[in-house]
Amino acid sequence: MQVYLPIAEMSVDGLLIVGIGFAVGLLSGLFGVGGGFLMTPLLIFIGLPSAVAVATSANQTMGASISGLIAHWRRGNVDGRMGMVLTLAGLAGSAFGVELFALVRRVGQLDLVVAVFYVVVLGIVGALMAAESVRAWLRRRRKIPRRLHEHFWMHGLPIKMRFRKSRLYISVVPPVAIGFGIGFLSAIMGVGGGFILVPAMIYLLGMPTGVVIGTSLFQVVFVTAAVTVLQSVSTQSVDVILSLLLMVGAVAGAQFGAAMGSRLRGEETRGLLGLLVLAVALGLGYTLVRTPEAMFVLEPIR
Amino acid sequence: MTRVVLALLGLLLGACPARALVAELSQREIAVSTGFTGAELIVYGAKDSIPADIVVAVRGPQTPVVVRQRTRVAGIWLNGASARFDTAPGYYAIASTRPLAELLPEAERGRLRLGLDLLPLRASEPDAGDGFRNALITLKRERGLYRQAENGVSVTGERLFATRILLPPTVPPGLYLVDVLGVQGGRVVASRDLTFTVRRVGTSAEIWRFAHAYPWLYGLSAVVVAAVVGWVGSVVFRRG
Repeated sequence: MQVYLPIAEMSVDGLLIVGIGFAVGLLSGLFGVGGGFLMTPLLIFIGLPSAVAVATSANQTMGASISGLIAHWRRGNVDGRMGMVLTLAGLAGSAFGVELFALVRRVGQLDLVVAVFYVVVLGIVGALMAAESVRAWLRRRRKIPRRLHEHFWMHGLPIKMRFRKSRLYISVVPPVAIGFGIGFLSAIMGVGGGFILVPAMIYLLGMPTGVVIGTSLFQVVFVTAAVTVLQSVSTQSVDVILSLLLMVGAVAGAQFGAAMGSRLRGEETRGLLGLLVLAVALGLGYTLVRTPEAMFVLEPIR
Repeated sequence: MTRVVLALLGLLLGACPARALVAELSQREIAVSTGFTGAELIVYGAKDSIPADIVVAVRGPQTPVVVRQRTRVAGIWLNGASARFDTAPGYYAIASTRPLAELLPEAERGRLRLGLDLLPLRASEPDAGDGFRNALITLKRERGLYRQAENGVSVTGERLFATRILLPPTVPPGLYLVDVLGVQGGRVVASRDLTFTVRRVGTSAEIWRFAHAYPWLYGLSAVVVAAVVGWVGSVVFRRG
């Protein structure tokens, strides 16, 4: 079934798009992540322009995260204050990211920049996840108890703030820096950033795990919403039809994924997720070094 | 069709000897809708026996493009040198009864801009080589946006002629100029100018216009749509 995408200005197989949404939804339900980091590369692989893939993926991630946020909010698993700090910093980061995105697109290096960001960020995150899950597995075999989080030097920076729900009294500098970074990556890569935000909240901020997922969803929803609006304004590359098709698949897939995920052990899940992240990084890395099919590319001037 | 028949009658009766050539299009408007998979247009007409050959040239609206060359830097492929073509037609098709080179001398073809090899494509960077120009033509031909059919115009009984113009799904919207030329002895002896328009219609066109005219509102709507679909979808699937 061919569907014409009004913003991408091309026809695609509608079932293929719903299928991609389903597959990404399945994996995101399985691993408890938004899945934007899988969605953007898959859309680029099937031939969509990088700009449309990134901007639409952010829009889709927002839709996929909202029901999770509502559920966690009702259960009181959201640290509103921490969420606000992360979100405000995230908005600044995403505004900066979208500006850079538009600039890079004007000079014709968007494909390169998106691919390089994916290779570097996913390469690092995937390697850390895989290593962490191996360590956890070894610890469990040797029955070494896991240590609780420690106070870092960065918690002692100025402008201290009390985050009651997270039971923290730390400087706002680390959460602001993390929020800004995630917002920036969200704009450039079309991701929610949960796969970086969640470990950062646990290991860098020392937040209790109970409020981590809900609070990260709070930031993801508002920042991806901001990215959607900012990308619509400065690059006009959010395709609502593409986003709708992806969401139809993703919402269905996520339910199956969540059911499957409950049968896997924590460190196994994280190990698999790490491998998946590394595979995406390698796949995009290959597109950078592979000899292109055509030595010239044509690009309309907007 | 009646117009053609009337014109033909006129020709045969010799009432209007100056009109050695008449031409018409099968459609004056092409609607690009959501399910648009391309279109076929027919240029047809009648001529006297004296302009023996016919050339039909179709020029679409100008759509500026950049051609970028892929270069390898430290093992990584990236976009290197580039050339802008501000006056490149978004669509160009030429069809004739015989190969153009046999019909008209090169100087005349250059003056009338007939033939893909003589398209007035000038790069904004003066030092850009012919490579960019050739790449532009090759890439546009691959997409069906530039075409040249040396024997594309068929003539029936020395009087009636017709040719098809194929428009691919990616055809740019705008005004299209169709030149129908009668050629005899290396000169253009008769000509007719026609036009047609390509318009975007339907939902996808509305979405495109909305996104470009009201980007803030479009972005906010995309957020609302995503929120509603995400929430409703999760409720439906949890119960089901």
